Amino acid sequence: MEGIIAIWQRDIIKFFRDRARLIGSFSMPILFLVVFGVGMGGAMESLVTAGTDATDFNYIEFIFPGIVSMTLLMTSVFSSLSIIQDRDFGYMREILVSPVSRVNIAIGKMLGSATVAFLQGIMMFVLMPFLGISIDPLSFLQLLPVMFMIACTFSSLGLLVASLLNSTQGFQLVVNILVMPMVFLSGALFPLSNMPAWVDVIVTLNPVTYGVDLMKHIMIDVDSLSAQVQEEMGLNLTFFGYPVTTTSEVIFLVGFTTLLILLATVSFKRQNG
Amino acid sequence: MIDVQHLKKTYKSFAAVKDSNFHVKEGEIFGFLGPNGAGKSTTINILSTVLQPTSGTVTINGYDVTKEQNRVRESIGIIFQQNTLDEKLTARENLKLHCKFYRVPRSKRKARIDEVLEIVDLSDNIDTMVEKFSGGMQRRLEIARGLLHYPKVLFLDEPSVGLDPQTRAHIWEYILKLKEKENITMFLTTHYLDEAEISDRVAIMDHGEIIAIDTPKKLKDQLGGDIIELTTTDNEAAVEEIKASFDRVDVELKDEVIYCKVDNSDAFISTFVKRLETPLTGLDIRKPTLNDVFLSFTGREIRD
Repeated sequence: MEGIIAIWQRDIIKFFRDRARLIGSFSMPILFLVVFGVGMGGAMESLVTAGTDATDFNYIEFIFPGIVSMTLLMTSVFSSLSIIQDRDFGYMREILVSPVSRVNIAIGKMLGSATVAFLQGIMMFVLMPFLGISIDPLSFLQLLPVMFMIACTFSSLGLLVASLLNSTQGFQLVVNILVMPMVFLSGALFPLSNMPAWVDVIVTLNPVTYGVDLMKHIMIDVDSLSAQVQEEMGLNLTFFGYPVTTTSEVIFLVGFTTLLILLATVSFKRQNG
Repeated sequence: MIDVQHLKKTYKSFAAVKDSNFHVKEGEIFGFLGPNGAGKSTTINILSTVLQPTSGTVTINGYDVTKEQNRVRESIGIIFQQNTLDEKLTARENLKLHCKFYRVPRSKRKARIDEVLEIVDLSDNIDTMVEKFSGGMQRRLEIARGLLHYPKVLFLDEPSVGLDPQTRAHIWEYILKLKEKENITMFLTTHYLDEAEISDRVAIMDHGEIIAIDTPKKLKDQLGGDIIELTTTDNEAAVEEIKASFDRVDVELKDEVIYCKVDNSDAFISTFVKRLETPLTGLDIRKPTLNDVFLSFTGREIRD
């Protein structure tokens, strides 16, 4: 237990010390907010509601939870990258020869990355007034545990990937071929209704989809929207024909995280020395 | 304290460590001497649970390194060849994290941190970022960190590699001071001969095999007598001449230098210089070193 805290604490200390990273990690989400939210907002709104009489689709409201999820994903994955650096700079050996068990090393690292991502995600909410949207305090409180859970899933994914790779270059490659498609095919940035069947399969298997969906259901007042708009916004997810409930999403994310942590632990054991 | 029996480590077709056996007593400084690639680091990695042996049994402080890894890990401290500090943290933070990894009781942490920093003379730098430390200071901090959980055995893998001679001497001062104070068993690997000399016992390793284990003195005494190094105007002729006219002299020509092994150089040298007819250009008399021991076992110098 103490070992988990120590590994977690190290990441937190370093996060608050590294201001360049703190600011740098905001650039991408803000860029996406500007490009998608402001630049394409009007076009998106008329596109989504074309042919319907709906007027209550707000693209900024739709994209904001997506951008926050994207921040969680990117920060989680990049924070997990630090284990490659730990290996290159030797600190990993100090951890590996200590009596801390391998599974606790993986959990500590995962919690460290997840906390960092969680804090970054929360900071995104500072932007809300500038975008002309708001969130009620109760929803915000509901959102916190969900965000942390999503951050844990993404961090354990990053951890597993990082533990399988040997170099930081390899990691950049993975980010490009794994993370970006995961963002685009999750419904984070645009509604994924009326997609070809094969894209639908990817969307359904993508864990980011469920994280984004959970956040949207908390942040957007779904019941006040017309059924038509709900459908157009892609708020009625199905898993190969079965409707997806919030509970099943939570179970899926927790289970997926556990599986990834176990795999990462095995990978740590294998790579001794 | 350390017991190694029939230890083997094989990578595919390459045998890094071949059937090694040795025993290290409590409080002993045990040196592992050999050229780079001899299998020293592989051995230390197995002893410190970083690597799994292919076969054989190793126990440390009574615990088996493959079956009771966590017990072994609690019993040992390791100073690696390369830096394993977190340079983006301060000395204190590095030490605090170590206390947590090793479950040092909370109430004892502060006193322990002060104590180990005192030993390595870094008390004034406790809140300095490690990246601002010099190479020697970082090495000292690593030694301090290795002691924090009061290990029974301290492993030092080439502890002074990459340091300047003055810093090296300092590091050794600290290590010897420590040994006097704490009676810690130390296992060190080195390819510096002078460092091996301070060990209570030395194991000489080459090509994955331990070829000799004894005190540095006994190893050198095995060679017997003194070594005279000489150069002459005609080395081949001189070697022939020495072989013909002097009894009980072991003579060898290597790299333009003639090495003569004699029982007692004081008695020998006066008659030798008088009687040798080939003109001498250089002469040096010395006691055998561990390098000569290595040479006599392998036919090569340790630096080859």
